[in-house]
Amino acid sequence: MMDESNPYLPYIVKVEDAWYETPVGDRAVKTFKVTFEDEKVWDTWSHRPGNCAMVGRLGIGESMFCISSSPTEEGYLRFSIMQAGKVTSAIHEVDAGDTLTVRGPLGNSFPMEEWEGKNIVSIGGGIGQAPLRPVINYVRANKDKYGDLKVLYGARTSDLHCFKTEFDEYSGEGTACHLAIDVEEEGWPHFVGFVPDLLMEVAPSPENTIAVTCGPPILIKFVTQNLEKLGFTPDQIYTTLEERMKCGIGKCGRCNVGSMYVCKDGPVFSYETLKKIPEAFA
Amino acid sequence: MVDLKELQDKAKEVISRDDVRRLIGWQRGTYGFESAPIVVTDASDADKLIFDPTCVQNPASFITLEEKRPVPRGQEPDTRKVAVMVKGCDSRAIVQQLVEKAYPRENVIVMGMPCRGVIDRRKAAALFGDVTPDEVKLDGDKVVVSLNSETKELARGDILADKCMRCRYPNPLVSDELMTEEVEKWGADEFADVDEFEKMSPADKWKFWEEQFSKCIRCYSCRNVCPMCYCVECVVAKLKPQWTRRSTDISENAAYHVQRAWHLSGRCIECMECQRVCPVDIPIMTLNRKMTRDVKEMFDYEPGVDVEAEPLLACYNPQDPEDYIM
Amino acid sequence: MGDYKFAKDKLAEVLSSLGDYQVFAPTPAGDVVRFLEVKDPAAVTLESANSTVPPKELMFPETETLFKYRLGDTGLDPSVPDASARRLVFGIRPCDAMAYTIVDNLFSWDFTDPYYLNRRENTTLVGFACGDPCANCFCPSMGGAPASEKGLDALMFDLGDTFYVKTLTDKGDAFAKAAGLDAAGDAESKAAEKQAEEALGKVKRSIDTAGIPEKLPSLYDHPFWEQFSDRCLSCGICTFLCPTCHCFDIQDEAEAFNARRARMWDTCMFAEYTVHTSGHNPRPTRKERTRNRISHKYSYFPEKFDVIACVGCGRCINNCPVNIDLLDILEKSKQAEGKEAKTA
Repeated sequence: MMDESNPYLPYIVKVEDAWYETPVGDRAVKTFKVTFEDEKVWDTWSHRPGNCAMVGRLGIGESMFCISSSPTEEGYLRFSIMQAGKVTSAIHEVDAGDTLTVRGPLGNSFPMEEWEGKNIVSIGGGIGQAPLRPVINYVRANKDKYGDLKVLYGARTSDLHCFKTEFDEYSGEGTACHLAIDVEEEGWPHFVGFVPDLLMEVAPSPENTIAVTCGPPILIKFVTQNLEKLGFTPDQIYTTLEERMKCGIGKCGRCNVGSMYVCKDGPVFSYETLKKIPEAFA
Repeated sequence: MVDLKELQDKAKEVISRDDVRRLIGWQRGTYGFESAPIVVTDASDADKLIFDPTCVQNPASFITLEEKRPVPRGQEPDTRKVAVMVKGCDSRAIVQQLVEKAYPRENVIVMGMPCRGVIDRRKAAALFGDVTPDEVKLDGDKVVVSLNSETKELARGDILADKCMRCRYPNPLVSDELMTEEVEKWGADEFADVDEFEKMSPADKWKFWEEQFSKCIRCYSCRNVCPMCYCVECVVAKLKPQWTRRSTDISENAAYHVQRAWHLSGRCIECMECQRVCPVDIPIMTLNRKMTRDVKEMFDYEPGVDVEAEPLLACYNPQDPEDYIM
Repeated sequence: MGDYKFAKDKLAEVLSSLGDYQVFAPTPAGDVVRFLEVKDPAAVTLESANSTVPPKELMFPETETLFKYRLGDTGLDPSVPDASARRLVFGIRPCDAMAYTIVDNLFSWDFTDPYYLNRRENTTLVGFACGDPCANCFCPSMGGAPASEKGLDALMFDLGDTFYVKTLTDKGDAFAKAAGLDAAGDAESKAAEKQAEEALGKVKRSIDTAGIPEKLPSLYDHPFWEQFSDRCLSCGICTFLCPTCHCFDIQDEAEAFNARRARMWDTCMFAEYTVHTSGHNPRPTRKERTRNRISHKYSYFPEKFDVIACVGCGRCINNCPVNIDLLDILEKSKQAEGKEAKTA
């Protein structure tokens, strides 16, 4: 846990490894595998799937990212970060051996215990797969506690899928892995089309099932609609929200949707909760 | 004097036109000597329009302040006109916006309001406290204020804004129609305030600005109200690179104000709105007026008076003086 | 808790006797009154009703360093204020003191904010009852009053030649002792009571807030917001000068190798406040921003913390250059016909 007396102070982390998930260039996604410079931090650190953290570079600033590794992956944290603005561009300059700062864990998490005994469907698009990865890996590591796991994941092109090397592992373990790309590519053996269409094609049964989705707002909107068409009720659908953030601890004000601070009361929300907050879809 | 009924009827007629989207004018405020800008989109609201010496705000600011939402796919953008009521000083903002091609001339309908001066609410509050007047009007050389069933006559300078006392353009410099007859000019501007300021030594000037800029809370009301500050992204909001830090201290505050003054050189039309809105009473126009005079003396240029003019910084003349290059 | 007094002409003496404290009091600079550290007791004014900038800046400064560091080094040097330092705010108005009690909720829920809370802890609040409320004061509607004691350690009344001081807490007593105040009697406390009652009668504006927090969400899409947002400048006056507005930005700043992470006031009225890195802005126009400001104060904040984030000081109304009047908005919100919160 963070320094209780001063939640603005970050930990220094060492980058053990860093690699690109998607082709290098504007809006590339790079994954950073980090460990705490002060090993003692691990004694008090605990995070859950869905938790976020402020990742930053001293001298530049910090931004909120989901922790893309599951707590079942011990001894390191992973962050998969898309290059877009000032802070992410600076973080992308960092490689193995360099340092970053991490402040967390922040926010709420997926209610993994509540979901025990249920089937899990993960529906992601693009970089939206980052908060779903810890859910998938948590369920994989606790197979006996959960029912069937299905992974649905799409991106504009096959290049832009994150965590590509892991897809075969899923299938190898008997986890259904349904991939999609927006436009036809030569030799692409999987689905071609948008993720909401892929969802209708796979048509998972709502029976004793939880659907978790994340991606661009438009994807979340249509996936949710389609899940309802398939018979999922709002309390069976979970997603994570994204807003501009600065403090990450429910003080600086800017990430509110209605009376909820996304950094503190979120990022994980059930569709049942979101339906009551019109600003959640703004 | 403007006949209110006539003005409202005219506004009704304009806003009812198929090619008009909104009409910007003034309405009565909620207390004291306050007025408020109003954006009329429906003829039924035209009855709220007023015009009297409380109408201080510059409606031209609201043309460029409007934020447009992205047009949904398959829909056409709303290209209907904006009608705007302007006093003489306000009209210079429209002229300068047109000079800078902020929008095409045919996009606006300018309703000219010849004006003999507006109230300075700080002066009014000092004279009358919190009281809300029943009526404020200009009568010859007097300002007549009716309040609490009493009538008080004041000399113009006692209650009108300083800018009105040196006003050289009481009649709109651009308009499609004047709402009343033109008024006679009375003012001259010899930049006495700038002369006075320039008497200070550089050290005293710095001390003065240090005190003034230290007060700044960076609310950006001066920038936002300015009809000439309509950049899509203000330089102070830029992060890559960051020219001005967001922290408030004398250095960053001064950087903001000096940048703004430079960006307004040859563009400031002296409506004085920036100074009026400042919640911490920074005499912002002292900077802008100095620039205005320098521009006038060096380049014989006055912004916001001629629709056909070229922007100062877009025209080069080999005879331009170089004194400003230090 | 006791009753004290001191002669008005002893004000400078009283202020000078508080050497154990770092004392802040309303100090004019031109027409602008702010709570500044008292260097010269003669510069202090108790004349103005509400200071231009609220004393929230004493707990939550416009800009403050969170920690310092050197570039290339990983050592962080936090600039947390000392919780045991002694500060005293002299002449704070009851509304501004009550504002602290509201903002406390935000800075102490879940993660606690040591910067704000340490200052709160180490500060003694000596209030000054209002005899003459301003045109746009409406504190009684917000559970306050011109002589409200909420959040104060002591409350002073101007009784003509004397200040009557009623101490309300141990901190208040410590102040009275340090200042060497004389004991006051029944006459003074009666006079103060009478003045408080009269001042209450002088408050001109009011709002019945019943039902507003519950109703505002139903007006999410309502066009009535545009009546106000159409003329909004989207500037920071109403929020920066609000004693309960508490939003901030965090920025890293470096000067050669010396760097700091600092926070500074920010406002939901600025377009860039919510804009995502992608360019998407969930509050793209002044309509959404105006709605958020009012809803946050009058609906979201009470939903979370059970208290409306407004004390009725009137600053947002007094200082708005385009006369966007909070009470006008609230009245119109009561008249507007709401609908069930929209579902996506």
